[in-house]
Amino acid sequence: MNFGAIKAIYRNEMARFFRTLAQSFISPVISTSLYFVVFGAAIGSRIDEVEGVSYGAFIVPGLIMLSVITQAISNASFGIYFPKFIGTIYELLSAPVNFFEIVIGYVGAAATKALFIGVVILGTASLFVDLTIMHPFAMLAFLVLTCISFALLGFIIGIWAGNFEQLQLVPLLIITPLIFLGGSFYSISMLPPVWQTITLFNPVVYLISGFRWAFFGMADVPIGLSLLAIAVFTGLCLAVVWWIFKTGWRIRT
Amino acid sequence: MAMVDIRDARKTYDGGFEALRGVDLQIQEGEILALLGPNGAGKTTLISAICGITQPTAGQIEVGGHDVVRDYREARKLIGLVPQEINLEPFEKVASTVAFSRGLFGLPKNDALIEQILRKLSLWEKRNDRVMALSGGMKRRVLIAKALSHEPRVLFLDEPTAGVDVELRRDMWQIVEELRQDGVTIILTTHYIEEAEAIADRVGVINKGQILLVEDKDSLMTRMGKKELTVELDAPISDIPQSLSDFDLTLGSDGKTLVYAYDTAAERTGIARLMAALSEAGLVVRDVSTAQNSLEDIFVGLVSDEQEAAQ
Ligand SMILES: Nc1ncnc2c1ncn2[C@@H]1O[C@H](COP(=O)(O)OP(=O)(O)O)[C@@H](O)[C@H]1O
Ligand SMILES: [Mg+2]
Repeated sequence: MNFGAIKAIYRNEMARFFRTLAQSFISPVISTSLYFVVFGAAIGSRIDEVEGVSYGAFIVPGLIMLSVITQAISNASFGIYFPKFIGTIYELLSAPVNFFEIVIGYVGAAATKALFIGVVILGTASLFVDLTIMHPFAMLAFLVLTCISFALLGFIIGIWAGNFEQLQLVPLLIITPLIFLGGSFYSISMLPPVWQTITLFNPVVYLISGFRWAFFGMADVPIGLSLLAIAVFTGLCLAVVWWIFKTGWRIRT
Repeated sequence: MAMVDIRDARKTYDGGFEALRGVDLQIQEGEILALLGPNGAGKTTLISAICGITQPTAGQIEVGGHDVVRDYREARKLIGLVPQEINLEPFEKVASTVAFSRGLFGLPKNDALIEQILRKLSLWEKRNDRVMALSGGMKRRVLIAKALSHEPRVLFLDEPTAGVDVELRRDMWQIVEELRQDGVTIILTTHYIEEAEAIADRVGVINKGQILLVEDKDSLMTRMGKKELTVELDAPISDIPQSLSDFDLTLGSDGKTLVYAYDTAAERTGIARLMAALSEAGLVVRDVSTAQNSLEDIFVGLVSDEQEAAQ
């Protein structure tokens, strides 16, 4: 293992993050506040509580997941796409590093940034609503796993993308709808039965449900299923990364 | 053992284009090899195959005795690469991007070394500038600094002086000279024959994915030192007279031109003796002219021969 290289990549990526720290910090704070104003005030005035939790608190796990997933994907996909785009990838390819080390560096940095933003949102949210976290370790574990697995997905997207449009396309067309329809802002039980069934095909439902369970001890699907879902998803991403590693797909001509 | 050992290297790109068609090349440790070739000859592809940027389709490449595919870590540790294109992260600062390169090779931080490299390349004053604020020549210096940051034993310079100012070219040659004294093996590609002449020990010519010639620069220079004297005769002859057998003469197909090859570096060119011998043999000279072989002629000759053969 070339740990020095992992460290170099990680720090280089984090440096970019810190260069725009104010922006990285302010935008989740503002958007979280806006969600609270819009959803909390407008909808919250109609829905008092969901299964015993105030609506304001109920949407917090979904809000965090929404930002964390989007951030993990965009950070990781941009992180590896950018060197491909400007040609500096030559340096990674000609250094004594293997693909696995490259993945750890980029995915690690992207996951760290996403985690940071998740924590910022959690902090902001606690200014608006009373939050007690029932299973703090499970909450943290879910958060970290989500950061890592979606950063892996982002990395794959960044390798695949041939231009900036493609880089934006997958998150915009697939991921964001999945998150919004994944029970971020409502409980599955509030949907008509047909939609409840359809929703169960959305993998994000399992993540948000599990994450919400860590907060409030209530879930749309059993917690074991949530764990299984994130494990399978992470495994799938790792398998694709392994395949890319083996074939040099879209990296080495 | 050769420091760089390339055996029957082939590269076919995805589109089916054969960019390397069986390259054999051995480069000794401490040697400076200039690889000359027209655009599209395969110079960059060859370097890319050695450095791990592209996967060779067939053949075997070793650097320092390590196979560049199987034993890529050990091989790449020895290699520094200055790419042809100026590929740099625009928002990075000069010193940190150079330090990053060293980090990628798993080496511990060494500020003193980075300072030394930056000073040598006249980048020290600019160390805190962002890359995007630098001129083209300065950016190329940064690329060189990055390649030197991990103290490579083999350095590849892919057209390092294409389109750069005189000052950088002079600095580059100076750096190459210093690296040579440290025993670093250097392979540079270039269009400029004078550059090959100025710094290389050996010169290789590549065209259409094949090495046409690899020769000591000195022996090439000797060939270059050869001049030809063309003597035009008044009347055609069928054979070169016996009395002229001492001279290195060739008779033109029209029977009216004699070409005499001689060495300008030699003490006597033999021209006066030849003239005397010609009139003694009863041959009337109508005109004489001289021409000098240059590396450029050799190069152009080789490449066009190759093209004819291909047709
Ligand atoms: N990625 C690629 N895909 C397909 N063809 C390529 C690729 N890179 C280079 N080539 C082709 O291979 C040939 C050799 O290119 P290159 O090695 O860059 O030549 P040089 O460096 O000597 O100018 C050229 O004809 C070029 O068009
Ligand atoms: Mg080239």
